[in-house]
Amino acid sequence: MKPVKIAMVSLTHGHTRKYYQTLNENRKLDWVASCAEDAAARDVYDLYKTGVPCYLSAEEMLDKHPDIEAVVLASANNRHLEQVRFFSARGIDILSMKIPTFDMEEYDEMIARCDEAGIICQVELELHYNPVVLRLKKLLEEGAVGKILSVQATNITLSPAWAFSWQGNPEASFGKRVPLRPGDPRFRGGALCDHPHVFDMIRWLTGSDFDYLFADVAPNLRPDLEVEDMLLVNGKMKDGTTFLFDPSWSRLEERLKVPGPGWEVFPKRMEVNITVSGEDGVLVSDCFGPNVYHNGAPNDRYTVQYTYFDEWIGLIDEFVDCVRNRTQPRINLKWHRQTIRAMNACYESISLLAPARLA
Amino acid sequence: MTTNINGALDRLIRKYGLPPGEIIDAEHSPAIRTHGGEFALLPWRVERRFIELKNLIDNNTLEHVSTLRFASITAGGDLLRQVARELDLATWLAGSPVASLFAACSGRAAANLIVKLESGIRLSIECCNRLPAGRETIDRHKIIARRGVASDRVVDTQVPQSSIYAFTHKGDARHTDTDAELFGLSEPATALVRAAFAVLRDPALGAEWNTAAAASQRLIEAMIQSDATSAVVSLQGKKTT
Repeated sequence: MKPVKIAMVSLTHGHTRKYYQTLNENRKLDWVASCAEDAAARDVYDLYKTGVPCYLSAEEMLDKHPDIEAVVLASANNRHLEQVRFFSARGIDILSMKIPTFDMEEYDEMIARCDEAGIICQVELELHYNPVVLRLKKLLEEGAVGKILSVQATNITLSPAWAFSWQGNPEASFGKRVPLRPGDPRFRGGALCDHPHVFDMIRWLTGSDFDYLFADVAPNLRPDLEVEDMLLVNGKMKDGTTFLFDPSWSRLEERLKVPGPGWEVFPKRMEVNITVSGEDGVLVSDCFGPNVYHNGAPNDRYTVQYTYFDEWIGLIDEFVDCVRNRTQPRINLKWHRQTIRAMNACYESISLLAPARLA
Repeated sequence: MTTNINGALDRLIRKYGLPPGEIIDAEHSPAIRTHGGEFALLPWRVERRFIELKNLIDNNTLEHVSTLRFASITAGGDLLRQVARELDLATWLAGSPVASLFAACSGRAAANLIVKLESGIRLSIECCNRLPAGRETIDRHKIIARRGVASDRVVDTQVPQSSIYAFTHKGDARHTDTDAELFGLSEPATALVRAAFAVLRDPALGAEWNTAAAASQRLIEAMIQSDATSAVVSLQGKKTT
């Protein structure tokens, strides 16, 4: 299959580093250009010495590389709509970061523009390609625990806000400045916005959708952030499955400008653990473990050295297949819409101090 | 098993446009047969946990390695192959051949070795094949350095952990899946296919692994000699890697 000529834009998302490796190594892709959000993003990009030309204007990039077929939108959440408008108008396929937008009018405009342009838009929810999740899904489909009764999941990380400042900025992350609740000095746009995976996973594993959710925020671990960093969510799915999620930034970090070794303070900087209880038993799973462990340089702290992050192989396989065969990916804008609605409902619940029901 | 793994290898060959190859003798002395010849497979060298342990040494996350402490307990199997695997793993991770060794064995059921590498690093290997039939291998690889200790086992645990634990009416089960492209294969089969894939991608690796396999065989002969004579056997002057 002919490699897809691909570009990456903005370069300000936390997953950008992963794409440097993916776009370079995956033979199904021909990485031809990048476009940085600003000079600062380009300076960081230059550190990685990719050898791929980097521009500061998408127009200039497309002028120089008119053969670009697809783009990775590695940008702040509040840049996505404008970029979808720009690239869909030019018939360029899109690999979107995990939060297209929290504004449902904007979201629906994105769907409409992609449909009208006939382009592919895949949402990057890489856990669908994680081998532990594949096993979990298979076990559930085989009836290992019978009817699912309850799901508990963590999606906890350090805070990327010091390296990717938009993630601590309410406008850039959530799209606008909305107080968490009356009297609370914090705003929407923190840890919740970084962690859609568990909301997505429960829909995929149960085949059901959210009925209602209750969410509450705890005192911040990082009082100098103006967005939430600790929260809990529980509720019920329409099929009766009850759940409890922890989508917090509950692992502290060194405040590095460029992520690298020694970023984590807690040994494991990122965890997605899923427990599924059914009528016939229980499955407990760690989607990123086991690993190897050390207490060496740079900080001599006990640290998890992750042994697998291969989700991007399956993700890109699907994207390239969809681009070449003009089929829609499983994880597309329409699929993901209910997940974004559920996350918005969490903020509504936090604001009202009451559960929020999804119609 | 061979049909299963060769089917998986064929899928990777087609996906990545590699030259043809076939895994042979998967159960005993696995190798890959290609147009360029037959090459020993050293699947532990492509296991992600060992790649990351090697990275920790090569990237100087660990500084001044002093001692390697390896252990492997299996349910049956050839003890000599088991020791050979640990010896190869150690010399590859440390980047140093063996200088000498002293071995104390209990027939072909258990072996305890203290090994000196040419770099000065000391290595202990504890092997036994008397786990009850059907039990998963228990192994542990610890690297102790002036700066930092690394291990493939998390602190306060004695046995390997898994990604998924199932506690159901049908009993308990564990699953560890590390490779979505080879989903469905067991961990050993996955490593074997990845090893074959690595040789097909990099033919120079095949020659390197043949040399390493021959070196391991010489080390096993030295282990047998040491056990029989209760003497330290020097490998210096003999090519072991």
